[in-house]
Amino acid sequence: MALTLNMTVNGKARKVTVESNALLSDVLRVNLGLTGTHVGCDTSQCGACTVHVDGVSVKSCTMLAAQADGATITTIEGLAAPDGTLHPMQAAFKEHHGLQCGFCTPGMVMSAVDLARCEPNASEEQIREWLEGNICRCTGYHNIVKAVKTGLTDMQSGGKVAAE
Amino acid sequence: MKLTPPARSAVHHPHAHDSALKHATGAARYIDDMAEPRGCLHTALVTSRWAHARLTGIDASRALELPGVHAVVTAADIPGENDVGAIVPGEPLLAEGVVEYVGHPVAAVAARDLETARRAAALVEVTAEPLTPVLDLREAVEKAHYVLPPSEFLRGKPGPALADAPHRIRGEIMVGGQDHFYLETQAALALPQEDQDMLVHSGTQHPTEVQHLVARLLGVDMNAVTVEVRRMGGAFGGKESQATIIAGIAAVLARVTGRPVKCRLDRDTDMMVTGKRHDFLLTWDVGVDDDGRVQAVEMTLAARCGWSVDLSPGVVSRALSHADNAYFYPHVKLTGLFCKTNTQSNTAFRGFGGPQGMMAAEAMMDQIARTLNLDPLEVRRRNFYGPEGRNLTPYHQPVEHFRLPEMLDEVLASSDYAARRKAVDAFNAKGGVLRKGLAVSPVKFGVSFNKPEMNQAGALLHVYTDGSVSLNHGGTEMGQGLFTKVAQVVAAVFGLDLDRIRPTATTTGKVPNTSPTAASSGTDLNGMAARIAAETIRDRMADVAAEHLGAEKSAVVFERNMVRAGNKSVPFGELAELCHVARVSLSSTGFYRTPKIHFDRTTNRGRPFFYFAHGLAVSEVAIDTLTGEWKPLRTDILHDVGASLNPAVDKGQIEGGFVQGLGWLTMEELVWDKDGVLKTHAPSTYKIPTARDVPRDLRVDLLADAPNEEATVFRSKAVGEPPFMLAISVWLALRDAVASCGPAGHVPKLDAPATPERILMAVQAAKDTA
Amino acid sequence: MAEYLRARTVDEALEALARKPFRILAGGTDVYPAAVGGPIRDPILDISGLSALRGITREADGYWRIGALTTWTDVLRADLPPWFDGLKLAAREVGGVQIQTAGTVAGNVCNASPAADGVVPLMAMDAAVEVSGADGTRVEPLDAFITGPRRTTRQPGELVTALLIPDAGAPGVSDFLKLGARHYLVISIAMVAVVLHRAPESRRIVRAGVAVGSCSPVARRLRGLEAVLCEADAGAPLEDLAQENHFAPLSPIDDVRATAGYRREAARTLVRRALSTCREALA
Repeated sequence: MALTLNMTVNGKARKVTVESNALLSDVLRVNLGLTGTHVGCDTSQCGACTVHVDGVSVKSCTMLAAQADGATITTIEGLAAPDGTLHPMQAAFKEHHGLQCGFCTPGMVMSAVDLARCEPNASEEQIREWLEGNICRCTGYHNIVKAVKTGLTDMQSGGKVAAE
Repeated sequence: MKLTPPARSAVHHPHAHDSALKHATGAARYIDDMAEPRGCLHTALVTSRWAHARLTGIDASRALELPGVHAVVTAADIPGENDVGAIVPGEPLLAEGVVEYVGHPVAAVAARDLETARRAAALVEVTAEPLTPVLDLREAVEKAHYVLPPSEFLRGKPGPALADAPHRIRGEIMVGGQDHFYLETQAALALPQEDQDMLVHSGTQHPTEVQHLVARLLGVDMNAVTVEVRRMGGAFGGKESQATIIAGIAAVLARVTGRPVKCRLDRDTDMMVTGKRHDFLLTWDVGVDDDGRVQAVEMTLAARCGWSVDLSPGVVSRALSHADNAYFYPHVKLTGLFCKTNTQSNTAFRGFGGPQGMMAAEAMMDQIARTLNLDPLEVRRRNFYGPEGRNLTPYHQPVEHFRLPEMLDEVLASSDYAARRKAVDAFNAKGGVLRKGLAVSPVKFGVSFNKPEMNQAGALLHVYTDGSVSLNHGGTEMGQGLFTKVAQVVAAVFGLDLDRIRPTATTTGKVPNTSPTAASSGTDLNGMAARIAAETIRDRMADVAAEHLGAEKSAVVFERNMVRAGNKSVPFGELAELCHVARVSLSSTGFYRTPKIHFDRTTNRGRPFFYFAHGLAVSEVAIDTLTGEWKPLRTDILHDVGASLNPAVDKGQIEGGFVQGLGWLTMEELVWDKDGVLKTHAPSTYKIPTARDVPRDLRVDLLADAPNEEATVFRSKAVGEPPFMLAISVWLALRDAVASCGPAGHVPKLDAPATPERILMAVQAAKDTA
Repeated sequence: MAEYLRARTVDEALEALARKPFRILAGGTDVYPAAVGGPIRDPILDISGLSALRGITREADGYWRIGALTTWTDVLRADLPPWFDGLKLAAREVGGVQIQTAGTVAGNVCNASPAADGVVPLMAMDAAVEVSGADGTRVEPLDAFITGPRRTTRQPGELVTALLIPDAGAPGVSDFLKLGARHYLVISIAMVAVVLHRAPESRRIVRAGVAVGSCSPVARRLRGLEAVLCEADAGAPLEDLAQENHFAPLSPIDDVRATAGYRREAARTLVRRALSTCREALA
């Protein structure tokens, strides 16, 4: 059963026709070509597919695209400014080496940005708890936590301009 | 001409990963992110549901009737040879005659989309007569059920020396396996080309092997196959030999259908099909003096190889060559067993058997100390390798430039060990429900592939007439920062800013006959090859510069994007243009082979390692003696990376390796049921560490002012695998905490992974002894 | 391909369910993992838009009502009396934050996993399930509603619309403890919830709920222990009241996560600890 959905994705109105049981992650990746959203475990555990739906982080492999009809979606591709200036959280991940293979990074960043909405002054313990649903196999999390801490601070100070 | 100093901060500087910006913006493309070519088909596997069975039929007729299905291939459809054996032949891509584990690929489907392929795979009817499997490692040991005959390292006369020793101590532990859990599952995209050519984008650490085996599967020459990989989302050894399965299936389906074919395994399939770290049963019989000094030791290291050989010869060899860790064994016999079980074929995984070998050494040291009521730290120190007479390894390589004694003093001071030891003992003396443990463990890791012929690498470098540089080499990027480090090396040679160097995707079309990116050797080998290529070009450019600047060649210096001689200079890009006008080649290959190494595989003697990397960790934990739950409290690490090419990348490897090791030894558990089905085949049941499972207080220091004595690239040392084994300190700290529940002289019985359940059992055993 | 229906009202959902069986989709956190990245092939009834079913309210008849679409995050953010603390602790154990945001309390109950985090504190709170169907609405105690692993008394034409929790009308406290190979994101090896209420004017315990999960096909209440706890003095060492025979309802099994012996041992320790915590909180 095909459905036609309207969503605002990274600031642009998009209309897609998809099967009723299509996952949001697949529609973002395949129909809209937004391949920065990765699928790591296929079972809603690893968090690599995290995006924002109406401002809240969700695992896009745990949501039907149909459920996002009418929603506003932000993916990792929509986080930087149109002129390419990095979002403070992206800049922090780059500067603090909060990444190695990079596969988990988009989900980590999207999750961390949502933390700023809920706990802008999160402690290290709160950061670690928040990131519980995002798995990284490379870094040991040390630099990721550092990056998130910096990203939260920089978001509050109005967004540090990235050194790009 | 003289060797010019590197441009300031090209090497020995914490540059960001070359793809950091792309990773943070989602622009980095992995195989599944590539735009699918027109007509691209998708793959699903049909796998064995028996651990061991004789195949009696494969009926794909119902699958083929499904609209959108283009092909179902079995062993009979493979155009060339059905063999992907990495070291020894006889490992079919698709099962032929028998299946040997649950998950063994039997057939593969190509269809217009993944869902159709999956439906079709479920419709393929496979029939078989079950055979009796061997599933348990102990059972394989008892039945001498091997994939290869045992291997032995021998030095001295361990038998008589054991008999004469004042104390004789026997022990054993089981050390579990580990799934790689690279975040990007295995993937390949095969594109048929003109003639019989095949281009394969493969998530592989070993493009040359994929090329070689795809050619074999397709029955074509190697020059008809090109394998390319820009990056992997983690690999850790899991994409060394096993990537061939996925690339091979995609290539065979692409050949049969004439269409591009993508094969990406979902997580569950990946875990069910591909091999993991070998679990080991480690046993020892050691003779020691009253001070705990080893007089002689005999060890048996029994590895679960799974159903086939794969890379097990190398893994067991490295286990044997690390069963000494940092300790001198005056008389020694080490036996490696290649046990065959009807489970996934175990493969390379960070450390490549080294961690399991070291576990034998460290568990044995702990047992010696506790049995004789000695301080485990002192026993370790007393057994360290020493000067001549105490410096020969079980494979007869002398240990040179052994850094651990001085490093130990340094880390004990920086971690405030003595005071914390007292505090932990005082805490435990109160006898509460919570107990603490503190332990120190060293790492001495041999760098170079155990097989000398693998220690070679090539690079291909082009300088363009605008002064930009295109870099290619045989190493693959899996997140470890190899492309960054090698680019730094090239930038240093040319005196250029790092952003002038463009690392390009690894491809068998540019650099042929490469070794896998493995054994921590990526930078040592490829960095050196790239350096040689860069120096070749620089030498030619220096001739042109000397003429242009009117100076002696020996006065020409490349630095800060300029080429200078005396007070004259020319921008690097301008010089490149001048070279072109002068008809001087700006392109070169570079080739490197590691010096000094040799190894005789019949006697297991030689110098397999160019040098050793060293590390030390001090870990403190707390356990709950009523539930077995535990917490890592603090870990201090001092690690030797020589003169670090990139301290940020190296620290990242240390932190990440340590945490991965912590997962291996404390929480990651592979469980097969009585029918040989892997029950932990998804992250819901297979637990890798998360941000909350690691020590909050993790202090990592690089050994300062410690250039490699051997002439490695800018005197750096390999860093990929050695830090993994620093996590043994956590396992030892857990044993220390458990030991506090028992009487003096009690040796905790704790296998790995030390799950809460195992810790609780060990605590109860300790209490029962008291 | 699968039919997809997004219900706009409860009546619309019930009409659809009366027509044919649907897979009911609320938060989706148990639905998708089961498909391992593949599409769901059953017809889907998406009830996630029924905002009337979301939220926690105190009803006039002395019940707390947790609407069927109330998420774990909603529970965590709600202003609730201390005897809901155990439920809040369980909420924090459900997956990671994204799963807490999407997953619903009622969905956890309907999924009826032996290891469901939410069921244990709800059982200890005497929760009941409100089930609506074409013939009206019925209310069933939670421990009767769940009949086995992945099995409930919900009929194909029915929809769970709320969970109902009686208010004991007395000061209360609660605790929830969970043991796992890894603390978070882990499906439990053993978990325990304790809810105690004392008389408003004395330390006498007037109501006790003790439930244990992952140690039997369905989470179980330890009614023998509850009986002993009732009438006990809240200042006494309550943890010592737990006796071997109180754990008889449990029938743990060996599985990939733990052995039966370890589960039994852990359950005993966790019950004692939860009782001890509650005693301190009451005093």
